[in-house]
Amino acid sequence: MVVGTLSRACDVAVLGGGPGGYAAAIRLGQSGKDVVLIEERATLGGVCLNEGCIPNKALGHAADLVADTKAAGPMGLSFGTPSVDMVRLVKWKDGVVQRLTKGVQFLAEKANVEVVHGHAVFAGPRVLRVETGAGMGEITFKHAVIATGSSPVELPGLPFDGKRIIGPREALSPGELHGRVAVIGGGYIGLGLASTYAKLGSKVSVVESTASLLWYLDPEVGDTLKRRMEKLGVSFMLSNRAEAFDDGTGFLTVVDASGNRSQAPADVIIVAAGRQANTGGIGLDAAGVATDARGFITVNERLETSAAGVHAIGDVTGGPLLAHKAYREAKVVAGVIMGEPMALDNVVIPGIVFTDPEVAWVGMSEKDARDAGMDVLTGTFPLRASGGALALNAPEGFVKTVADAATKRILGVFAVGRGVTELISKAGLAIEMGALLDDVTAVMEPHPTMSEALLESAEAALGTAIHVVQG
Amino acid sequence: MATVFRFPDVGEGIHEGRVVEWLVRVGDQVRRDQALVKVETDKAVVELPSPEPGPIGRLHAETGQTIHVGDPLVTIGDAGEQPSGEPAPTDGRPEAKAIPPDRAAGHTPAPHRVLRAPATPHTRVLARRLGVDIEAVQGTGPGGRITDDDVQAAHSAAAAPAPQPVALPRLEPSPRPPSALEERVPMTHLRKVIAQAMQTSSQTAAAVTHVDEADVTELYAWYKELKPQVEQSGVRFTILPFFLKAATVALKTHPLLNASIDEERGEIVYKRFYHIGIAVDTPEGLIVPVIREADTKSVVAIAGEINDVAARARERKLNLDEIRGGTFTITNMGPLGGVFATPIIHQPEVAILGMHAIKDRPVVVDGEIVIRKMMYLSVTFDHRIIDGAEAGRFMNDMVALVSNPKLLMARI
Ligand SMILES: Cc1cc2nc3c(=O)[nH]c(=O)nc-3n(C[C@H](O)[C@H](O)[C@H](O)COP(=O)(O)OP(=O)(O)OC[C@H]3O[C@@H](n4cnc5c(N)ncnc54)[C@H](O)[C@@H]3O)c2cc1C
Repeated sequence: MVVGTLSRACDVAVLGGGPGGYAAAIRLGQSGKDVVLIEERATLGGVCLNEGCIPNKALGHAADLVADTKAAGPMGLSFGTPSVDMVRLVKWKDGVVQRLTKGVQFLAEKANVEVVHGHAVFAGPRVLRVETGAGMGEITFKHAVIATGSSPVELPGLPFDGKRIIGPREALSPGELHGRVAVIGGGYIGLGLASTYAKLGSKVSVVESTASLLWYLDPEVGDTLKRRMEKLGVSFMLSNRAEAFDDGTGFLTVVDASGNRSQAPADVIIVAAGRQANTGGIGLDAAGVATDARGFITVNERLETSAAGVHAIGDVTGGPLLAHKAYREAKVVAGVIMGEPMALDNVVIPGIVFTDPEVAWVGMSEKDARDAGMDVLTGTFPLRASGGALALNAPEGFVKTVADAATKRILGVFAVGRGVTELISKAGLAIEMGALLDDVTAVMEPHPTMSEALLESAEAALGTAIHVVQG
Repeated sequence: MATVFRFPDVGEGIHEGRVVEWLVRVGDQVRRDQALVKVETDKAVVELPSPEPGPIGRLHAETGQTIHVGDPLVTIGDAGEQPSGEPAPTDGRPEAKAIPPDRAAGHTPAPHRVLRAPATPHTRVLARRLGVDIEAVQGTGPGGRITDDDVQAAHSAAAAPAPQPVALPRLEPSPRPPSALEERVPMTHLRKVIAQAMQTSSQTAAAVTHVDEADVTELYAWYKELKPQVEQSGVRFTILPFFLKAATVALKTHPLLNASIDEERGEIVYKRFYHIGIAVDTPEGLIVPVIREADTKSVVAIAGEINDVAARARERKLNLDEIRGGTFTITNMGPLGGVFATPIIHQPEVAILGMHAIKDRPVVVDGEIVIRKMMYLSVTFDHRIIDGAEAGRFMNDMVALVSNPKLLMARI
């Protein structure tokens, strides 16, 4: 693009280079479309690669090593007291991130995607104005894909200052290991960060306004997670809202449901209390793109917005804000733009929480299914009965399978435990394939692994599990 | 079990239609294949047959409402029954795009997507490709799972009751009170389609018109001589079929005028078949039925076919397939008088031939003034791919062919 002078015409303009945007751009580029990808940050990969999933998993892995060595005493192993050099840890994490973002940049180039680093704003139904370091440019397009993602919500009493009141981004690049950390928000981002910090050695408390963790899942999930996190030294202030932080005294004020205030000391406050769509100030009105009341872009199953030729994918469309949703939508939208009869036909979006233990689920919970008026079969397999789990010194957790009593069709799987974010993908495949309980129980699972727990839970639902007493 | 019958994909390129008339009411007992509703699409009114027998539980669209492919039309089954696979109600606004249920805010979306008709992702893709609404398919696999075969069967079943009968639409009365100074009449669907097509054409093509005149005295004499003979078989005979025939001959020599443009890939698509559209004026507006493979048919056969399609176009009883897929169009403006006009190209074609009134005019032949049957011919062509010289050569060929029927005979 010749900045400041000419306008550039293209087939598809993609706004945002996160998992949604870069994947859509690459797929469309591979298919021969003339694609311009506009990303305002210096690297591709969006929140996920730069300051979300990848840094979170990298630091989480380091924290697991620390916790595992600490727990290895009974196995006869001793390593001395682990010490954490935060500067080097963050540098290692940055190295991982850099390899990935450079890799994406390379793939985009190979797919003939033109990457423009700048801020894009719609100036009309078929034109974007792009502000880059070098000046203004104009891009006209036949199709646009909005993949501008989401960003953390700032709480009224706790404005981000980048030092003591921070968001997930700063929390994943700490300059030092913070002593006392208060995490505001018990969603999957807050709980993951709380787990990681606690295992690295911080004293962590979690403030959450609801009465239980991950309340919208099977209640057993939140209870199991809470017990284990408390063992790691995390304290919970449930049914509480964070109100203010006094930088001088270092006290955080929280309010419970009846209006009682209490105070907790903290060196750093991590606010992870929800995310908002990046839809402000990008000219959606000029393009004729409608949003819902919360600012998320409204789309149909073909990811079309209210404006013809303009599509939206990823976090900006709401629903579960997860990278794998963005990746799948990217492929669907590319197909739609290529004129294929595609739509987002997936029946499940896997949910995952990278805590200790991990939490993962797909489909309907027992309660969902009963609320929908169905007769259900459920089977739960506790990991303390799993050879694979015990040998890994990870007996906490369970796998629960929910099925339709009439057809035996699997409706949902809920899992808590080490490595269950890998195991859940098989449950996702089973549900997408319309699998019945038999389809899972009649398969050989490699032994000893966590995956056996899925098989056993399906057998338990049929009342035929070997490794639990059937009542 | 109640089923929801959705507005099916009735044919290539049709995304929406307007409900013209409901032929059933809630509570009616319908037979399989009984006509349920008349929907005006593209240039035809389509009657949609019931996919299965049963009582009508609910009509999802009102008369006059615009519906899109995939929108629910009617629930067949007891009104009280829970329809299978019906998405969240659209609170009567079918234009509102359906938002996937788990997009809705909060954690209690209903119904859960897991409760969709069970099928593998592969089968879902197949259903999309074939335009089959998978929610309406009865699965024969384990636990009611829908198999590829089930989808194929549903597809063949939907394809079977093909030729859609066409009927006259009704003009909706204006919702506004009539004013003394102006009257508002809603555009019919056909009028909107024509408006859109004309606008697209004038925005897309770099249209230029070239006009010439032809001395058709001899051809006219042939035509007059043949007319009584041909009409004994009940076919109204006009001079148009000769021009159609001449056009296919000239197009074979000048294939660029029988082409289209694939802008996306930057390619010119030469058509090796000659489907000639005939512009027909009807009370509701212009309709262009297509005479397929006109190059292979006799003048008399073409005359018969034109009679048939023109009549059915006026009654709007054409099948969708009969108004699509042309490669070149002829519009006969002779009966309307005038000297000549500049017709608009019928997209995605690249040229259109205009025939104008045949008149007795004095012309100079061999230094003498004589009276001849003269006519203007015009060709509007898309200058993006056809240069003026090529259009001129095509026209010279046309003029030669219609001025000298023997030459036409020789080249057929
Ligand atoms: C701490 C944390 C941990 C997470 N962990 C996980 C996890 O384990 N698994 C998981 O699936 N998900 C996880 N997520 C969520 C995941 O990061 C998001 O779902 C994912 O990044 C969404 O991708 P996206 O492409 O929609 O948007 P984003 O990744 O947000 O990318 C949008 C991009 O658009 C750019 N942009 C915005 N506006 C403009 C504009 N006007 N012009 C140009 N560029 C613009 C932004 O700079 C950004 O790079 C995590 C998130 C966080 C914060």
